[in-house]
Amino acid sequence: MGDAIRYSLEPEDFYYMGVNVPCQAACPASTNIPAYIRAFYEDRPDRSYEINRLANILPGVLGRICSRPCEDKCRHGEAELGRPVNICHIKRAAADLKQGLSRAVEGPFASFGKKVAVVGSGPAGLAAAHDLSTIGFSVTLFEALDEAGGMLRYGIPEFRLPRSVLDEEIARILEKGVVLRTGTRVGEDVAVEELLRDFDAVLLAAGCYRSLALRVPGETLTGIYPGLEFMMNLCSGRPPVIGDRVLVIGAGFTAFDCARSALRLGAGDVTICLRRTEEDLVVTKDEVLETKKEGIKIQSLMLSRRVVGSSRVEGVEFVRTRPGDVGPDGKRAITPIEGSEFMVPADSVIVATGQRPEPIEAGAQKDDQGLLLADKRSFLTSRKGLYVAGDYLTGPSTVIESVGMGRRAAETIARDLTGKAFREKVVRMEETEITDRKRTWDYLPRQDMPTVQPLKERFKSVNREVETGFTPEQAKEESKRCYLCYLHYEIDLRRCIYCRYCIDVAPRDCIKLVKEIQTNDVGAVTGFVETTRWREVHAVVIDNSRCIRCGECMRVCPVNCISATRVELTERWAEEGESRG
Amino acid sequence: MAEEHFVVVGNGPAGHQAAVTLKEKAPDAYVSVISRSRGSCYRPHLLPDFMAGKIPETALYVCPTDAYKDKGVKLRTGQKVVGLNLRERSVALDHKEIVRFTGLIIAAGGKPRIPEPLWIFRDLMLTLKTLEDAKAWREKLSRVDSVLIMGGDLTSFAVTRSLLDLNKKVFFMLDREAFWPLRCDRVMLEEAAHRLSQRGVEVIVDRRVKSMARVSDLACEVQLNGDRVRAGLIGAFFGLVPDIRFLVGSGLRIDRGILVDEYLNAGYEGVFATGDCAQIYHPEIRDYWVSIGHDNAVSLGRTAALNLLGGSVMVEAAQESIFEVQGIRVNTSWWMDY
Repeated sequence: MGDAIRYSLEPEDFYYMGVNVPCQAACPASTNIPAYIRAFYEDRPDRSYEINRLANILPGVLGRICSRPCEDKCRHGEAELGRPVNICHIKRAAADLKQGLSRAVEGPFASFGKKVAVVGSGPAGLAAAHDLSTIGFSVTLFEALDEAGGMLRYGIPEFRLPRSVLDEEIARILEKGVVLRTGTRVGEDVAVEELLRDFDAVLLAAGCYRSLALRVPGETLTGIYPGLEFMMNLCSGRPPVIGDRVLVIGAGFTAFDCARSALRLGAGDVTICLRRTEEDLVVTKDEVLETKKEGIKIQSLMLSRRVVGSSRVEGVEFVRTRPGDVGPDGKRAITPIEGSEFMVPADSVIVATGQRPEPIEAGAQKDDQGLLLADKRSFLTSRKGLYVAGDYLTGPSTVIESVGMGRRAAETIARDLTGKAFREKVVRMEETEITDRKRTWDYLPRQDMPTVQPLKERFKSVNREVETGFTPEQAKEESKRCYLCYLHYEIDLRRCIYCRYCIDVAPRDCIKLVKEIQTNDVGAVTGFVETTRWREVHAVVIDNSRCIRCGECMRVCPVNCISATRVELTERWAEEGESRG
Repeated sequence: MAEEHFVVVGNGPAGHQAAVTLKEKAPDAYVSVISRSRGSCYRPHLLPDFMAGKIPETALYVCPTDAYKDKGVKLRTGQKVVGLNLRERSVALDHKEIVRFTGLIIAAGGKPRIPEPLWIFRDLMLTLKTLEDAKAWREKLSRVDSVLIMGGDLTSFAVTRSLLDLNKKVFFMLDREAFWPLRCDRVMLEEAAHRLSQRGVEVIVDRRVKSMARVSDLACEVQLNGDRVRAGLIGAFFGLVPDIRFLVGSGLRIDRGILVDEYLNAGYEGVFATGDCAQIYHPEIRDYWVSIGHDNAVSLGRTAALNLLGGSVMVEAAQESIFEVQGIRVNTSWWMDY
């Protein structure tokens, strides 16, 4: 054992990380999740927050409202292993419990004397502005509304995201020298043409602010609210008047936010209507549970056909749907079942079926709906110097996707303007000791987020935060559950005596007798051909995609031929070659 | 020809009937029943009678465990299915064994439903789904003289009857949600309240629970809007929800139950769902529905088995006894019998 650290840019190592550290691979911002959970376990919440922030500039915000794709892939959630680690709420705990603001992430670059305009101060715009200013660009951030934050401020209710948390993290981004110009709507108050004249590059990250219509008869009746408009009015201090029976049509976070907000505005009977099933929801399980706890009903497999009423809405006619297969877009196909119509009465209907961007005139190539076209890898439009990112490019996505995309766009812009790379992804490898996790920790129950109880307390104020946060003890207990999948165990076949002790103690089929190791064209291991015939055995291997990093194999090996390496997908400054994580 | 291995998940009335039918119609096939609980299949609708001491435990069982062996059915009890791999046609058990199948019938049944707003009080409430639950009731009932029944499902009326037979004081909370999954209107509510009152039950109508607490070893107190009830035990009877979390991510279409057609097929060749865990779309009624109750379960178990063996038996759509609730229709005629 030693403390040797190596860095790799080899494709096979990136492939390994994609398969074997599933939480990080699932994170659109590539957050080094095992590292920040470990830092939290070591009683270093500041460091935990900082590791988070290297990839995701809004840990406190996303510790509350992230869609948590990491938890869906967490190895602890595999069939026989229990429930996934509560990754998101450990992130929040680090943000809540940090002693002070961690040090600013400053780049080693002087000002380039180049100016970039970022349009939209939502998560993508904030992330891009942060990264560009960090590496030496003068950044002006344009925001059409009164305050920075975009959908975070105007689309998410305060009972899920307190504005003090948002304000703190935005302030940290702006302190890098970003100039914020609020109340300036690009395309109206200032033309893109003008920005392209005054700045070396323009990034449009203006979000999706146009609600999609149901496109059914009766949609213009009084009492129908577009979901985003409903939320923006509420978040701007203009709560809509809502009746007793409210139907919310939609399946995303906005639909759930609208439903829970309607309840807080005095509605007595709120129902969320889904075209697909509850299992197809992208909204987190915790969110669904809290919504139901508050008394909101969720009904599925129903498609609106028409809104009924004389002068104002009186109900909606639905038809049953039949779910089909999941398509390439990740959405399940549905087929309406003709003849299965039924009516649901309502006093108000909130339509939260999606949003799209507002067209902005920019002199670049557009699609048939008037929206700017851009390459999804380079973010570049047909016009030199004009880039598009975030929801404005892809349509509605999640906050963490927007953060990841904003950062990638910043890197692309910086490279195009200077001809050189600033950040690069790298696999960092460090020999390490055997894990100090106890096997009993694998059986710890998942800590669930405490919430305001009794329920009536939640409704005393429209803005009271529902999730109250882990105590330090709860968060630490939860951090113990992480397997630390960034540990890589390997058998040195030159020293292995094929005693098979490791196989005997393996808690699942993670150590294999194989006759063939399959690789892909970059040399990465993609699979194993196992054998039970001893004469065919070519190797004893640890399948790290099945391994739960318990270390039992290492402990029992009589010849110490099993080693552990801490492998992390991290970033470094491209010029200096120094890891940031 | 490769040997057929039919796996039935669940050993309730539907699963048991499916397994027996499979073996009866395909005697050469290998039939396995995997059950989380131990022991033989029992009749859950008799649990209230057992709870009240009217029948012995032996009367609950459909057959002794040896009967499975006699019929050529492999019964694997105390084993929990935690995953389904449709591509490899296998189920994963929690002790990490993989069991392959050529045909699968999922009859995982339901688990007691506690409405989400009452979750924080769930440790104070007793349910009655399993034999263990019934034994817990039996033990606790000997020490109390009153019970508050909340909800109003299939079991609640039978339990109430048993409690009255034991000379216990019974409070029964009734509201529009009480008969979940049945949608309750004012007429039904009044009729149920009348019938219960006639039998000496103290009926509490249209009140919401504000809080619940245990005030002593022998008493719980429930704070309602404008009222307060003190009872020795609180029974939660809010219906059953399909117990199918292990299927999430398997590829099966899941809503509240496993979505199946009128032949109980789950959309994959040789994979069927039956009993309480099946959510059936039936073209005759043009809607989804679930079927609950012992007799329905037995019938559905047999239907699934026959169709797995190549039959095309359509589930019977009993129009007159199908009620709608929260977007699902439910086939039940239980409470009108009370």
